[in-house]
Amino acid sequence: MTEKKKTSKVTPLFFARSYLSTESNKTGSWRFLRPRYEEKTAPCSVACPAGEDIGRIEMLTNQGMFKEAWETILRENPFPGVCGSVCYHPCEGACNRGEFDRAVAINAIERFLADTACKNELKPLLTKLPAKKEKIAVVGGGPSGLAAAYFLTLLGYNCDVFEATAEPGGVLRWGIPHYRLPLPVLERDISLIKDQGVQIKTGVHISKEFLKEIEKNYNGVFIGCGYSHSRKLEIPGEDLEGIEDGHAFLNRIRHGERPRLDGLYVIIGGGNTAIDVARSVVRLGGTPLIAYRRRRQDMPAFPDEIELALDEGVTLKELVIPVSVVPDKGDYVLTLHHMNITGEDDKGRALVEPDGSKIEEIRVKNVFKAIGEEPAESWCNPPHGGEGIVTLNNSVVDCRTESAAIVFGGDLTNEIKSVVHAVASGKEAAIALDILFREGLDAVEPEIGDCLVGNGSFCSMEIYMKRPRFDRSSHVVSYSEINADYFYLSQRITQPRLLREERLATFDEVNLKISASLAIRETERCFNCGLCNQCDNCYLFCPDLAIVRDKTPQGRHINYDYCKGCGLCVVECPRNAMVLVEETNEASTGRESSGS
Amino acid sequence: MKQVLEGSQAVAEAVRLSRVTVISAYPITPQTHIVEYLSDYVADGTLKASYLKVESEHSALASLVGAASCGVRTFTASSSQGLALMHEILHWASGARLPIVMAEVNRALAPGWNIWADQLDSLAQRDTGWIQLYCEHSQEVLDTVFLAYRLAEAVSLPVMVIMDAFFLSHTYEPVDLPEQKLVDRFLPAFEPKFQIDTADPVALSPLVTPDFYMEMRHNTAKAMEESILQLAEIEEDFSNIFGRYYGPVEPFLCDDAEIIMVTSGTMTGTARQVIQDLREKGEKVGLLKIKLFRPFPTEIIRKILGSAKKVAIIDRNFSFGAGGIFAQEVRAAMCNLPDCPWIFGYIAGLGGRDVTTDLLEDIYWRTKKSDVLSGESIWMGLQEEDHAVERS
Repeated sequence: MTEKKKTSKVTPLFFARSYLSTESNKTGSWRFLRPRYEEKTAPCSVACPAGEDIGRIEMLTNQGMFKEAWETILRENPFPGVCGSVCYHPCEGACNRGEFDRAVAINAIERFLADTACKNELKPLLTKLPAKKEKIAVVGGGPSGLAAAYFLTLLGYNCDVFEATAEPGGVLRWGIPHYRLPLPVLERDISLIKDQGVQIKTGVHISKEFLKEIEKNYNGVFIGCGYSHSRKLEIPGEDLEGIEDGHAFLNRIRHGERPRLDGLYVIIGGGNTAIDVARSVVRLGGTPLIAYRRRRQDMPAFPDEIELALDEGVTLKELVIPVSVVPDKGDYVLTLHHMNITGEDDKGRALVEPDGSKIEEIRVKNVFKAIGEEPAESWCNPPHGGEGIVTLNNSVVDCRTESAAIVFGGDLTNEIKSVVHAVASGKEAAIALDILFREGLDAVEPEIGDCLVGNGSFCSMEIYMKRPRFDRSSHVVSYSEINADYFYLSQRITQPRLLREERLATFDEVNLKISASLAIRETERCFNCGLCNQCDNCYLFCPDLAIVRDKTPQGRHINYDYCKGCGLCVVECPRNAMVLVEETNEASTGRESSGS
Repeated sequence: MKQVLEGSQAVAEAVRLSRVTVISAYPITPQTHIVEYLSDYVADGTLKASYLKVESEHSALASLVGAASCGVRTFTASSSQGLALMHEILHWASGARLPIVMAEVNRALAPGWNIWADQLDSLAQRDTGWIQLYCEHSQEVLDTVFLAYRLAEAVSLPVMVIMDAFFLSHTYEPVDLPEQKLVDRFLPAFEPKFQIDTADPVALSPLVTPDFYMEMRHNTAKAMEESILQLAEIEEDFSNIFGRYYGPVEPFLCDDAEIIMVTSGTMTGTARQVIQDLREKGEKVGLLKIKLFRPFPTEIIRKILGSAKKVAIIDRNFSFGAGGIFAQEVRAAMCNLPDCPWIFGYIAGLGGRDVTTDLLEDIYWRTKKSDVLSGESIWMGLQEEDHAVERS
């Protein structure tokens, strides 16, 4: 159909093209900087006393691999349900995302995973080392003792837990109110520990003599008796009939008592127990007032808890100390002395002294004492240094006796009395005993040092067992090392809670469950600092096509024949899972064809 | 079928009828209507093509370099600052011998910011290896798109179809819109001389050493030269089918003319009227419209202008430190011709200022009355500079 006539000649084309492969040009020979895959340490995991691999937990959750994510928690912490409920989540305070918009809701995700595992009756697949001959006794069935027994069992030891009360759990069972930690959640975590083979003997009378006895039958003893004894106020009237210890009050409620309260109740103290008592008083109909000697910001109670307490109608009276309690016509008259701030200590807490004679009297229904706890008996306290004693970050190893090594842990050794610190202590003690049995006391401190997460003071079981986490760099990724261009601002999930009106009427759990879709959306926000999530940016950006996909866990390697060390891959890695290092003479031959 | 079309739509219709496969463009006034029409055609399926939305003119042309390397018919359109941004890739398209066609709407370069007609944007790209065709009216611009594809594909060089901003791009005129069947007859499917083929991998545009670079440039130069003859043959085909003919240049009443005015673009239409008026007054005046600027049709121009006594070239552009660009080119073409006519260069209509019949007539009389030949450009219609305007 065409009328196109080619009458006049057109010169044949002569233009630039080549049928030679560019593979002959080994651009790797130009390289003086070398990129390499190197996973690093996320700041959240450093801040977590249990050393949980949080970046990976969030990644797996985001990929819908809930079981794997849950197992990743369990490798470092046997209490996902408990910690998902009551942990004060220092991880979130360290979260790099906090510098971008707001921290990832790590705590809510942990609870989601625990709930998901429960709902589906999942059985974890955990690595257990071959059986060892040594036997270990754990004195105290609280969180540190249970954690120690759990990790020792994973390390292959035969472990017996001795608990004085009728049921294991310690403060988790008798000290934390139901609205924060429902009993089934605790039971679930404990049964999981039992499933690993931990034997728990309850109702055992624990005494100094008992300790002497078991030292003969076991190679190691972990003492985690906790702080079960409330400190005294040392004021007139505190021992009057009816003036109650905060822990005892909480224990009564845990056992099902629901006294009807009416009128004003004063709680003396500023710790989590004081808050728990006050919030319980609200639920029982009373009007609680917390009297604290310093300021709100100085309170040892976790800030979130204080916030919720105030929201529920608890009143906080700062800068007062109790002077006396006097009974008066069925009520009590509590005398408070006002305090003056004289300065701040090195942690920024107010230093206070009584303000002359400024006194205040309040007519109250009752006074609860919650100024802190101490060990029930003095032999539970760890020794302070000396020959045969190694003081670690979260436990103290005592090898002075011939018969058995003793490790003190839990609240006895921890500065911060929290569940997750108890886990840290139990884990550290378990690892310390393993090192002690294999290599002796001198190896304990350096080897514990080798399995700390990043630059922190908490151990990782996974690092100790030289599992894949061991290969990561201990460099802690900072926000400036994240390529934030790859992330969008997105709202942190709001923790669903019972309405205030519902909370005031019951001891039902305040926090409500979150759905899988919310969990996936929230974990999408995680930077997974220092971890590769297979985003393939390195592959897409490499101008030399030097990133080669393979079947290794990394999923790809660098072909150094062609990598000219431009560093684009490293810059475009959103998560800082790569590193650019100076080329050494040895490596600069360009012959090496696979990555690390 | 005759229709009243906007100049921009005439281009878009021609692109549609040319069955272009890939369009990549970035909108810029006064080119915007062209790409708007085309994106509509692609969106509603009237034109089965890929329309690439890009972030810049540089990318618009770069993506067409890729598409054209795959052996498909491609189109882009730009103007002024946008064309300037394309500059690097303009060289690439011609050096890689890719038959890309571009509609270029002549617009002034900033600053001062000005969106109106001025030829400097395209003329500043005269050395990029693109064939340049300047159009006078909507029918010509429509027809020239067809010619451009035939020519580009014959000589493996990119072609710019150039039109004045607003005077042509935004003016509605009656246009004979040909039937697809006829266009297909004139412009069959593109048969690429080379194309990327994954079965036969090739590295395009790799490093070329001094051993071959000159030969490649010479090869391109020959293609440029050959395009004059090719265009003539293609136009013959075209006129056989459509009955219209333009030519690389168009002489109007030049045979006995003592003074020939030289124009390009839309001012040619105005000049035709002036020439006729002057002829009625007995003046021996003619008009030469230059359509093909690259390659410059030197031989034809020497032949036509050689018999005149005086030549007045009107440039809607100015090369600082040199003069009107058409004037430079014509002077160079006439060089060494015995009895070379006196050549006068006039500058008019920059930045969209109207070139009226009065102004063109004024140029004629000035030329006729000049008894001194000066190489200097004569700026027409300049007002006294009023510095107060700067502050108002």
